[in-house]
Amino acid sequence: MATLVAEAAAPRVSSGLWRDALRRLSRNGPALIGLFFIAVFVLGAILAPYISHFDPTVGKLTDRYQGPSLTHLMGTDKLGRDEFTRVLYGARISLTVGVTAVLFGLIGGVVVGSIAGAAGGVVDGILMRIIDVLLAVPGILLAIGIVSWLGHGEVQIILAVGISYSPQFARLLRGSLLALRESDYVTAARSMGASPARILLRHMLPNALTPLIVQATLAAATAIIDVAGLGFLGLGPGDPRIAEWGEMLTDASSFLQNYPYLIFFPGAAIVISAIGFNLLGDGLREALDPRLKR
Amino acid sequence: MLRFIVRRVLVSVPVLLGLSVILFMFLRLLPGGGPAEAILGQHATPQLVAQISANQGFDKPLYEQYFLYIGKLLQGDFGSSFIDGRPVAQTFLIRFPGTIELTIGAMIFAVGLGIPLGRLAARHPNGWIDGMVTVISLFGISIPVFVLGYTLAFIFGVQLHWLPTSFQLDPRLDIDPVTHFPIIDALLTGNWDNVLDAISHLLLPSIALGSIPLAVITRITRASVIEVSNEDYVRTARAKGLTNRRVDNRHIMRNAWLPVTTVIGLQTGALLAGAVLTETVFTWNGVGSWVVSSVQNHDFIVVQSLVLIFAIIFIVVNLIVDVGYAFLNPRIRYS
Amino acid sequence: MHLLSIRDLVVKFRTHDGTVHAVNGVSLDLDVGEALGLVGESGCGKSVTNLALMRLLPKPAGRIEGGQIYFEGQDLLELDESAMRDLRGKDVAMIFQDPMTSLNPVLTIQEQMVETIRAHRKISKADARARTIELLRMVGIPQPEARLRDYPHQFSGGMRQRVMIAMALALEPKLLIADEPTTALDVTIQAQVLELLSSLAAERNTAVILITHDLGVVAGRTQRTNVMYAGFVVEAASTPDLFSRPRHPYTIGLLHSMPRVDAQSGEPLIPIEGVPPDLRQAPVGCPFAPRCAWVVEECWKTMPPLVPIDRVAGVETTGPNVTHRVACWNVPTADEAVAAHPERPGFVPAAPPSAVESAR
Repeated sequence: MATLVAEAAAPRVSSGLWRDALRRLSRNGPALIGLFFIAVFVLGAILAPYISHFDPTVGKLTDRYQGPSLTHLMGTDKLGRDEFTRVLYGARISLTVGVTAVLFGLIGGVVVGSIAGAAGGVVDGILMRIIDVLLAVPGILLAIGIVSWLGHGEVQIILAVGISYSPQFARLLRGSLLALRESDYVTAARSMGASPARILLRHMLPNALTPLIVQATLAAATAIIDVAGLGFLGLGPGDPRIAEWGEMLTDASSFLQNYPYLIFFPGAAIVISAIGFNLLGDGLREALDPRLKR
Repeated sequence: MLRFIVRRVLVSVPVLLGLSVILFMFLRLLPGGGPAEAILGQHATPQLVAQISANQGFDKPLYEQYFLYIGKLLQGDFGSSFIDGRPVAQTFLIRFPGTIELTIGAMIFAVGLGIPLGRLAARHPNGWIDGMVTVISLFGISIPVFVLGYTLAFIFGVQLHWLPTSFQLDPRLDIDPVTHFPIIDALLTGNWDNVLDAISHLLLPSIALGSIPLAVITRITRASVIEVSNEDYVRTARAKGLTNRRVDNRHIMRNAWLPVTTVIGLQTGALLAGAVLTETVFTWNGVGSWVVSSVQNHDFIVVQSLVLIFAIIFIVVNLIVDVGYAFLNPRIRYS
Repeated sequence: MHLLSIRDLVVKFRTHDGTVHAVNGVSLDLDVGEALGLVGESGCGKSVTNLALMRLLPKPAGRIEGGQIYFEGQDLLELDESAMRDLRGKDVAMIFQDPMTSLNPVLTIQEQMVETIRAHRKISKADARARTIELLRMVGIPQPEARLRDYPHQFSGGMRQRVMIAMALALEPKLLIADEPTTALDVTIQAQVLELLSSLAAERNTAVILITHDLGVVAGRTQRTNVMYAGFVVEAASTPDLFSRPRHPYTIGLLHSMPRVDAQSGEPLIPIEGVPPDLRQAPVGCPFAPRCAWVVEECWKTMPPLVPIDRVAGVETTGPNVTHRVACWNVPTADEAVAAHPERPGFVPAAPPSAVESAR
């Protein structure tokens, strides 16, 4: 039924997928808000030492449990450390670990997915079974298992979260490749004598890329949450002095009644950065898929 | 249909076997020496290490250990906790019902609210209801379970004192743990107040845990209803002069259902994982908090067994979902 | 009184790309029992006109912005929704192009047909079921009792369309609208389905509007045919007359671009140059002007009205003596129609105003 309207309107001259997408993205309000949130945290993380002169790892015990004030914008924690500073430094961990984990999972997933999708047959079968095994352990449990195996540390968390995310990317890419392999324009390229490698690189990958980009952006949102979750469960980077949002929540949990702000501020930081990536991811999805209509 | 079920079950077997191998190796590849050292952690002494190795059979050749391991699993022996010595299977049966209750509570919340909201949003796309629903969905997937949990606990527990924020039941009440399902045990006492107590303890954790499935189910319901509403057969139904209500329920929903049921099934599995965090926040004595405490205590045998059990449950749930979908969709049922 | 009388219908679609002017003033009449062909390419407005008639335009994009639609004397555009619902399926029925997607995949054939019948008549399920079997037999489905509990995907394409026809005729409607009923079917099945449609309609004296982009479909199956282009009716005539004496440049072009059995061997097919107009622009002048070999200056300024090609006393819009009308400022002669291009000495097609401007 939508074709009625589509048929009636004549085709517009195309100006390139990326330029079109960027233009659409720039007109998407929520996506821009998301980008803004992300930018705020990225800048906050990078410029932390210049924004706040407090030390995130030590504080004066006499200053502890102060509520938000002009000197301590978000109050102080159980050791007298400035909470605002800790939130800023915590962004460093959450963003770097989260984004790196997604990138790691993305690369791993793409490699596995391409091999499976391109090779087919037995190789495909084996690789997909391995993916199934990884997927058999639900959600964060896999990351928990891997971290408990590897021990504490940022690298370990990146590996754990990255491995738990790679199946979705592998499946996505493999699915795209399989669909594209049968598609008309690949058949046309093949009929013109293009080699399989050329077909993979020039024709299939660019098209399979766009859903991956969207998925990766959305995954960044869950990665930030998962990293904080690991920290919350005591499986964080390990050094108790380092500011990490999840660990800050655990520390504060016993004081829910008396000092709720200690939970509110790190919590809000997690939520807002996750919202940022989610909005951006949704915006990218709408911008990159020209057939999608709201 | 039967062939479909059998095929799906057969595919799951190698997956479980593969997982069992990985978990088996997990215990034996822990950093810090051999498995015995890892389990003992800082308590390791040469005698204890030798004792445990003999006990658990760590000194035998690997493939022999693996067969013993699988053999024990098939008999229901999942090992014992290092901390309290009790068999994993036994503690599991005590703690699992609590997690089941929590999962069901979360699902009731997510489905009971999610499907109507999704339908409502789809009825007036891009209207203000749709906008509000989109925002709720966004927050649902952006607020971690533990943040939401504490927020709810703060508002409803600390500030308003309406609902309890810890445990499954009030410890002062005299309720026998017969089935280990808090609500059922409360029902068995015959005292209505006990049941209310059990329900009141279930509310906040269910909402916290159910927030993500709620967001996902709402989104998928909305998308599904909108997509189905634009299908040709809905136009045919209207062209036949059927009432809106009939078109909605018989033609739109019956088709929109299908992807939603798949999502509900998948989310149930994800709830098992999410329970880990929720149970920690609300001090809920289920399997989730047990995983956490085991990891923190380096009780690796328990961790190994629990991960395997969770995987089995997840695979079974997915199997039920797939079979259910095949049953609901006539195109697959009669092909 | 005509069974159906559409007057100056205007339909627009509001999209975020702009407003699409789908139908720009269409009028047509139809009598009881008549079969009218509505021919034109994709996007010319033939389907939209009929969806507007049924008031089934996609909401909120599609809007009827002008005109009247009289059915048995009543203006359908004035009716409230429940009165309209009463009409649909019972007095006016519509079948669509793709029978696979037009039938609900999760309901059995029986369920879908019985609900149609019981939506408009108070009869028991058993009686409705019996009627369904009767209808399926009528459209040529073998062993209908056995197939009642089947789902649409268990039928072949041709069978599915027969089911749709059965469903449409279940309540003996006065008007049946068939929107590209055979386009999605195999060529060998097409003729069968069209034949079935024609004979059933004739038996019941049901008026038919047969919508298609394929001129071959209307030949022999309709008494009259209207040709549509860019939301306008550009030619209206009896079907034999349309084929033997086409008068609108577009119709002439269409006929010459079709391979014909009776053509001389070696005669080339002549495609129509150019592309259909962008309906997001409000129409100025005749929409066919950019592609027309007979274009004169007036064509660029105003849309010609639909008027008779011969001098006649009165205008008949329906029936066997229907007046052959065409909407054109410079109607081709009979010889020019056969040659497919103008033959007047010294005739130069008028350039568009913008070209004239820039030349000054």
